[in-house]
Amino acid sequence: MKTHIVAFALSIIISLSARAELKWEQTTIELHPAPADKQAVGHFKYQNSGKTPVHFKSVHASCGCTTAQTQKDEVPPGDKGEITATFNIGDRTGTQIKTVTVETDEAANQKTVLTLKTVIPQQLEINPTFLFWKQGDKPDQKTITVKVGKEFTVKHIKVTSSSPDFQTKVEEKGNGEFQIDVQPQETKNLIASTLTIQPDDSQKVFYATARITNAPTVQ
Amino acid sequence: MKFSLTRQAITLAVLALLPAAGEAIYFQDKISWRSPIPPSESVNVDQARAWGQNAIWVDARPDEEFAQDHVPGALSLNEDRWNELLPQFLAAWSPGKKVVVYCSSLSCNASREVARRLRKEAQLPDVFVLEGGWEAWLKQK
Amino acid sequence: MNKTPNVQLATPNTERTEDSTLAVGRSALDVWRLLWRILDFVVAGIFIYAGSIKALDPVQFANDIDNYKILPWPISVALAFYLPWLEIFCGLALIVRYFYRGALSILMALILVFTLATTAAKVRGLDITCGCFGHASQHWSFPAHMATNLAIIAALVVLWVSNRLTKPL
Repeated sequence: MKTHIVAFALSIIISLSARAELKWEQTTIELHPAPADKQAVGHFKYQNSGKTPVHFKSVHASCGCTTAQTQKDEVPPGDKGEITATFNIGDRTGTQIKTVTVETDEAANQKTVLTLKTVIPQQLEINPTFLFWKQGDKPDQKTITVKVGKEFTVKHIKVTSSSPDFQTKVEEKGNGEFQIDVQPQETKNLIASTLTIQPDDSQKVFYATARITNAPTVQ
Repeated sequence: MKFSLTRQAITLAVLALLPAAGEAIYFQDKISWRSPIPPSESVNVDQARAWGQNAIWVDARPDEEFAQDHVPGALSLNEDRWNELLPQFLAAWSPGKKVVVYCSSLSCNASREVARRLRKEAQLPDVFVLEGGWEAWLKQK
Repeated sequence: MNKTPNVQLATPNTERTEDSTLAVGRSALDVWRLLWRILDFVVAGIFIYAGSIKALDPVQFANDIDNYKILPWPISVALAFYLPWLEIFCGLALIVRYFYRGALSILMALILVFTLATTAAKVRGLDITCGCFGHASQHWSFPAHMATNLAIIAALVVLWVSNRLTKPL
């Protein structure tokens, strides 16, 4: 067991001491885009501090939502450059960690992991985003809780229902919390509504769904 | 000191195996040896297929990949267009259905993220990630 | 009733004729042995505590090991079940002073490998939130982790050297 530990430790030491000619200013970048931003861009700057040119063998991102651009494939000694990582936020929420793995010809299997940590501002936290009543159930009132993100101040929220069959009422609970009461007229038909939730006069709009569903399937 | 250093170390190492094995048995339902997803939250192709009409298949991959090919009857639901695609998915869902979310392979993260959001935000029960993803489905064809 | 006569026992110090320096040397050794024993308990306590925390939630520990991206998942699971118990048993060995040196060498190997793995992860740019103390130490900074590891390594070295130099209590 001891020899295995020694071998394992040695392999780590060896991988650490591999000649890295490309020096990265940062391998982790934290981004804080604005609520209306669609993309977050990280600039990973490097410099070739070695005496031989460095080629990028491959640059590939951990997901399709992130694209990475190298400005050049070959970096002459002394040259500086950057890998631009663009993360398409889409409808994502929370803190998203995406990586870009860069393989160069510096040493066998020389891989550097560039990490893009994007903290997506959450203006409103809506829970749940889906309310349902089974066909034939009593059309009771159900609630959605809306919490305002810590970095934001929201005085009012406006809720509109795409279907008049669902009634909505907003209650202000104070302390950055709101309550949306939703009630269907009836549960006989499979009706649905998209609730649009708008904070103050923000550009960003949030959604929730209310619908009458089929009764559980038999099995 | 009766034993040599190596003997002592080996004895301790072997002793520790006993409670370790015990724990592995105790926790076997809470952790899968094959993938980091808990067994209660993942399902393999055969099990998912066995659910038949009770299952709703969800493709968590980007639009282009879905357009190229997908599990017959699967709905597209990805994080790029979550707000736009969610209502369609919810229209197809009803209580009692089992949701099977997949992305490209064993290592992709999108299916876990989509499954997590369905459980947390939409509060749906019975949401599972397909072990092996699209790759595993193709193998079973 | 037989009664033992009240014999005034002479105190040992007045009986013995010891050289004063030898007496000082003797008590210094006792102090050292006491300190060493305390260090035994401190180090053992650290490893037993760390091991117990991780043994309570092997699922989380497996995920934390996996985050280092050095080992394949099944190995992470195996280690998550095994390593905490190894720590606990070695800690206990230090306390009862049985298999003492074997335990010290295992603990030393464990912490060295762990320190190397943490450094490797940092160099590769991975965002590691796991520490020696399991998920509870996730809020510690990298320097804090390193300082703790080095302190533990130093303590283990002291114990090893002390054991080599003197006979245990």
